Amino acid sequence: MKHGKSWLPAHILAWAYAALLVVPLYYLLASAFKTNDQIFASPFSLPTSLSFGNFGTAFESADLGLAVVNSALVTAFSLALTLALAIPAAFAIARATGPLGAFVEKVFSLGFLIPTFAALFPTFLLAAATGLFHTRLFMVLFLPATAMPLSVVILVQFMRTIPKEMEEAARMDGASTFAVLRHVYTPMCLPGIATVLLLNFLTFWNEYLYSLVIIGPDPSQRTVQVALPTLKSLTGTDYGVLTAGTVLTLVPVWAVYTVLQKRMQQALVSGAVKM
Amino acid sequence: MTTLTSTPGGTEVRPAPSKPPVRKRRREGGTILAVPALVWYLVFMVGPMVAIFVIAALHWPGMLQPVSFAGLDNVRTVFDDPVFWDAVRNTAVQLAVALPIMIVCAYMLGYYVAQKPPGHKVLRYLLFIPGLISTPAKAMVFYAALSPDGLVNGALKSVGLGSVTDAWLASPSTALACLIVLDIWGGIGFTAVLFAARLGSVPEEIGEAAQLDGAGHWRTMWRVHFPVIREYVGVVTMLQFLWTFFGSAQHVLLLTQGGPGSSSTTLSFLVYQKAFIAADLGYSQTVGVILFLVGLVGLLTIRRAFRQNY
Repeated sequence: MKHGKSWLPAHILAWAYAALLVVPLYYLLASAFKTNDQIFASPFSLPTSLSFGNFGTAFESADLGLAVVNSALVTAFSLALTLALAIPAAFAIARATGPLGAFVEKVFSLGFLIPTFAALFPTFLLAAATGLFHTRLFMVLFLPATAMPLSVVILVQFMRTIPKEMEEAARMDGASTFAVLRHVYTPMCLPGIATVLLLNFLTFWNEYLYSLVIIGPDPSQRTVQVALPTLKSLTGTDYGVLTAGTVLTLVPVWAVYTVLQKRMQQALVSGAVKM
Repeated sequence: MTTLTSTPGGTEVRPAPSKPPVRKRRREGGTILAVPALVWYLVFMVGPMVAIFVIAALHWPGMLQPVSFAGLDNVRTVFDDPVFWDAVRNTAVQLAVALPIMIVCAYMLGYYVAQKPPGHKVLRYLLFIPGLISTPAKAMVFYAALSPDGLVNGALKSVGLGSVTDAWLASPSTALACLIVLDIWGGIGFTAVLFAARLGSVPEEIGEAAQLDGAGHWRTMWRVHFPVIREYVGVVTMLQFLWTFFGSAQHVLLLTQGGPGSSSTTLSFLVYQKAFIAADLGYSQTVGVILFLVGLVGLLTIRRAFRQNY
C-alpha cells in the first residue's frame, strides 16, 4: 500500500531524473574509448575496443600525469595542515569554560558568511606580496584557511561529547595538555576527523578558480582541474581525448565514493547541516 | 600557557595533585591552541575580505599602473555601465529560475527517496554523483553535450528534429539558459540527498498519524513533513543561493566567457572579468562589494523566510 499505484508518476520522474544524471556520464565514459567519427556516428553505443589511446593522448597533450601528481600533493598537504590547525583549535574551544572560548567559536562560525570567491583578487595580491604567486605552496597554505570554519565547528561538536572525566583521569596520571589532546581527544574523535577529511578532500581536489588564478597555467605546477579545460582548446574538437581527460580527473573521487559511500554522504550532509 | 611546556615526565614526580589545580590548569592551557588556526583564518580569509572594500575605493587601472584614491568614483562608473546592468539582470534571472526549481524538485525527490521506495539505495548513490564532480568536469560534460556537433544536437538529428539544432552555448538566446540548466541539473540530485538524509530523521509516527487521518502523500509531504524540516530547507536554500550567486563565475568562464556580447555575464563573472581580463581593479572590487552586500541581504532574507514559525 505504501508504494501503491499512485506512486507510479513519482517512480517515473525520479528515475527519469537519475537517467539525466547517468546518461551524460555514460556518454563521457563510452566516448573516452572511441574516435571522433565513432562518437558522431553512434554516441550511445558501447565502445568497440577498450584501447587507452585517448587517455595516452590526454596525458601527453595536457601533461595530465604531472597535473594529477600536483593535485595529489596540494590535496594531501592541505589536508594535513587543516587537521594540524583544526584539531587543536577545536580542542581548545570544546574545553574552554570562559567567554574567550565562546568568542573564538563565534569568530569561526561567522566564517560561513565570508564568500571566499569575492576575495579572489585580494588573495591574488597576497600571493604576489608573499612571493608565492604561481606556486602550489600558496594553495597549500591558503586552502586550509578556507576549510577552517566548517572543520572547527564539526570537530568541536564531536569533542563536546567526550566526558570531562576522561580528561581528569588522564590528568591524574600526569598527562600534559598536549598528551590529553593526543591520547584522549584525538582517538575518540576519529569519526569527526574522518568527516572533516572527506569533506575537505572533495573541496580541495575539486578546487578550480583559485588554482587557476594563483597557480596559473605553468604545466609543472598546475593542478588537474586547471589542466583539464585546456584540453578543449589543445585538441580542438577531439571529444575522445577530452572525455578521457575528464574521466581521469574523476577517478580518485569516484574510488573514494564507491568505497566509503555511506561515510561520504554523511560527511557532506553534516557539512550542510553545520553551515 | 605553562602547560604547554610541562612534560608528562615532569609532572609525575609531583604528589597526586588535588582537584582545584587540575581545573585551573585546564582553563589556562586551552585557548592558546586555537591561536594558529585563528591566525591562519584571519590572514587568508578575513584580510582579503577587508581588502575588497579598500580596493573598491581606489582608482587602479591595472596591476602595474599607479594607484590613486577614487572615493565613490568607481560606484558611479559601475552604475553607469550598461554591462553591469546586463549582469544584474542575468544574475536575477539565474537566481529566480534556478533556485525555486532546484529546491522544490529536490525536496520532492528527497521526500520520495526518504520513503524508501524499491531501489532507493541505487537512486541515492546516483543522485549524489553531481556532488562529487568538479566544476571543470561538469563544464566539460556540458561542453561535450551542447557544442554544435555534440550529444544534444546529435540526438535531435537522429530523431528527425534537425531544424531545432543550435550552437547552444554560442547563441545569445540560449547561452544563459544553458548555464541555468547546468545549475539545476547538478543541484537537484545533490540537494535531494541532503533532504532525504534530514527527512530520514523525522520520526515515522508523524507521517503515519497523518495518513491515518486520511492525508494523502501529497498532503503529508507538504503539510506535515515540510513544516518539520522547514529550517533545514532554509539552510540548504541559503547554501544553494550562495553557490549559485558566487559560483556562477566558474561555469561562465569555462563555457561561455560571458558571451555572446554580455548575454551570459553574471555579477560574479564580472568581478573576475574586470580583475583578470580587463584589469580594471577598482571596478572589479566595487562589484565585489556589491556582490558581498547582496549576498548578505539575500542570506538574511532567506533565513527570515524560513524561520520556524510554530
